[in-house]
Amino acid sequence: MMPAAGTDRRRQLVTAAIGTALTLVMGLVLFFGFRLATHMRADITALQAASTLQTYPEEISHQLNTLRDRLEVRAYAGQALADLQSTVQRFDQELRQINAAGDVDAPQLGRALLLWHQYGPVLEPVISFTGQPYVDSDSSGSSLSREGRAHYAAVKRAQLFAADNARPLQTQLSTLAQTLQRTSSAAAARLRSLLLGGVLAALVLAGAAAYFQFTRARHERAAREAQEQTRDILKTVREGFFLLDADYRIGSVWSDALSKMFGREDFAGLSFEELLQELVSPATLATATKYIKLLWGDRAHENLMKSINPLGQLEITMDNGHGGKETRFLQFDFHRVMGPQGIKHVLCAVGDITSSVLLARELHESQENANAQLDMMLGMMHVDPLQLVSFLDTAETGLKLVNTILKEPARTDAEFRKKLSGLFRELHSIKGEASALNLKSVASRVHALEDMVSDCKKRPELSGSDFLPLVLKLDDLLAHLRGIREMASRLTALKDSVPAAPPAAAPRAEPPRPERRNAIKVEDLTPILQSMAERLAQDHAKRFKLKLAGLAEVPSTYSATIKDCLIQMLRNAAVHGIEAPEARRAATKDDAGLVQVEFRKVAEGYELVFEDDGAGISVEALRAAALKKQLISEEEAAGMDNRASMALIFRPGFSIQEDVSMDAGRGVGMDVVARSVYALGGKIGVSTHPGKYTRFKIVLPPADAASSAVA
Amino acid sequence: MLYEQELKTFVEGTTNFFEVAAQHPASIGSPYLMEGSPSVHEYTGVINISGKREGVVYFTAPKAMLTVLLMKMQENDFSHETMKDLVGEVANTISGNARRDFGRDFVISVPSVLSGEKPALPQRPGLRSFIIPINWRSHSAKLVVSLT
Repeated sequence: MMPAAGTDRRRQLVTAAIGTALTLVMGLVLFFGFRLATHMRADITALQAASTLQTYPEEISHQLNTLRDRLEVRAYAGQALADLQSTVQRFDQELRQINAAGDVDAPQLGRALLLWHQYGPVLEPVISFTGQPYVDSDSSGSSLSREGRAHYAAVKRAQLFAADNARPLQTQLSTLAQTLQRTSSAAAARLRSLLLGGVLAALVLAGAAAYFQFTRARHERAAREAQEQTRDILKTVREGFFLLDADYRIGSVWSDALSKMFGREDFAGLSFEELLQELVSPATLATATKYIKLLWGDRAHENLMKSINPLGQLEITMDNGHGGKETRFLQFDFHRVMGPQGIKHVLCAVGDITSSVLLARELHESQENANAQLDMMLGMMHVDPLQLVSFLDTAETGLKLVNTILKEPARTDAEFRKKLSGLFRELHSIKGEASALNLKSVASRVHALEDMVSDCKKRPELSGSDFLPLVLKLDDLLAHLRGIREMASRLTALKDSVPAAPPAAAPRAEPPRPERRNAIKVEDLTPILQSMAERLAQDHAKRFKLKLAGLAEVPSTYSATIKDCLIQMLRNAAVHGIEAPEARRAATKDDAGLVQVEFRKVAEGYELVFEDDGAGISVEALRAAALKKQLISEEEAAGMDNRASMALIFRPGFSIQEDVSMDAGRGVGMDVVARSVYALGGKIGVSTHPGKYTRFKIVLPPADAASSAVA
Repeated sequence: MLYEQELKTFVEGTTNFFEVAAQHPASIGSPYLMEGSPSVHEYTGVINISGKREGVVYFTAPKAMLTVLLMKMQENDFSHETMKDLVGEVANTISGNARRDFGRDFVISVPSVLSGEKPALPQRPGLRSFIIPINWRSHSAKLVVSLT
């Protein structure tokens, strides 16, 4: 963890305080030391003076004695007087100097001064003598002159005074010296204490500074270690971590994984918007930016915010490190980082969940496949194995034909477009049969393939690239059919093994594969058509009965065509013909409609009549639908009679239904029926009465004639 | 199941070569599923793929197409070896495009070149093969993608 700025400031303050205290202590020590030293110097000077002065009274007494002796023996006394004068002058001068200096505050000095002051009148006549003390005569030799006698008398008085006062004066001076000695000693002791105190204080402060430095170093080391640990964590974690500030900009620290995820290093100061803008759509970016702004609001609850996170699974396209692009899934998780003043940062954790997402998709696909297989198996349980195998053969043949259509060389838009109609017809036929057998997984796959073909049709310019998804879907469909065949084979083996024991010994019989799709008789279609009618009624919320008659008469040559036609016409009747029960009640009809199918032999061959008692066909509605689909122009529509209008339902691409559903809307149903009938040399006609019925009549030539027509 | 984007990557790799080498773009015809044994032209450049998908992708072209292509590339040498080098170069471009788009998910081999109309192509049973016609000028080659 990084050291806080407050801690840094505190440390700086402590360092400054220690430095200031050290300087202050040293300054005080120096100041008071200087003052004490100055006092001491004055005291010592005074002490030296006092020590010298205390010898002077004795010396003055001695010199007075010498002077008197000289005078008494009439010896030369000039030198003795001069010495006395000098001593008195020095003593007086030095004593005055001590007093004038004012550094000595002792009573002894005052008393000494007083005593010396008393010396003055006594000594003054002596030292001021300047005359000749002697007179010489031949008779008596040298004798004191009158001045000499007066001088002698003064000396004697002074001597007597000195004899009485020298000792007290000396005592005062000696006491003064002792006092000064004590004062100096005390000052010296104070100076020592001061210095010692200063040194101790300096040592304490130096110790504090050292301790502070030590703790600081320790903290710094701990901070460095914490930083290293943080770096190690950020280097190792698989999530991308970073902090966003109040301006939605990324901070200076982020985990290494973030660099790998986004393939960049320049995150510092980068805004969140800049981070994502080249990776996501503008709409996603706008939502993400709004979300981040919301996160900074104190009111929004964090858990609630998490539930509306738009970046919980973000699909991004980025450089794959090989010069190409790759799609990855990132999960952004946000956490508020709170400080004393509220939200300080938003911590963003980014996880690469690509493998999880892909795995989940695979699991989902597997689950869907498993469900589809289960549905398929349940559906297959109700289908006659022979019919199922027949369907698979038919479907595979149809899909091979689809592949053959795709294989046809094509370079121009027209050539590509030509393929689409053929693909529609084949696919629609397969879907019809799959629906009739209630093989929903097949029908839905074919329906999806039809959607793709339909999308291609809407494109202004077609190229081979547009067919790439088609061929992939075709491959998927073929694989699915192979799966059904394998499952059918297992089911057959299972059914065969039930009466036999043990099951392991039961031979795994392959279901017989019919050589031709015509091998199934149309009468077998009865339960399938009934089942299909029930499903259609349920899917489209209709109610109707299906009556079938004469299907046993269908010759094998026509069985496939009759089957395809009935499936398609039944779907049309269920979707377009039979009304919803409410509508029928309003039209005073029975709730349940009726669809009748009759196949019979007639003079010119065979006749199939398919009739429903539904809403009938409105020629106006047919013309409007054809106009909307641009199959006819407005001029053509205006010139069409009812017969021509009814013929529109057999045109390729025509459908009256707006939306495409599993059962209608492609516009290929009746087109396929008509083409199949014409291919056999037959005819198809339609008659209707709005609100009453719609009737299709298909007339086919005798079976032998049809064979030759097909050949 | 092979995804459309993966198929497009191989197709783009092929068409890019014509765009760059001959300054004349190639177009693709209607793709379809291979039925039976592979049908190839005289020269075939093959790359083997493993990793996320397993299988083989090859570009096979007739001699006539390669000759015109060499002429467009200002090449005067129309020898057998030059033809093989050219087909190898196309396979190399396909391989480079795949590496760019698929990254580390795919392990793509160095291209190998086969010649003759019945070369020993690596076969993997059970794989569906997609054939994408590559049309260039009046000629047509094939890109075959046979992957899990």
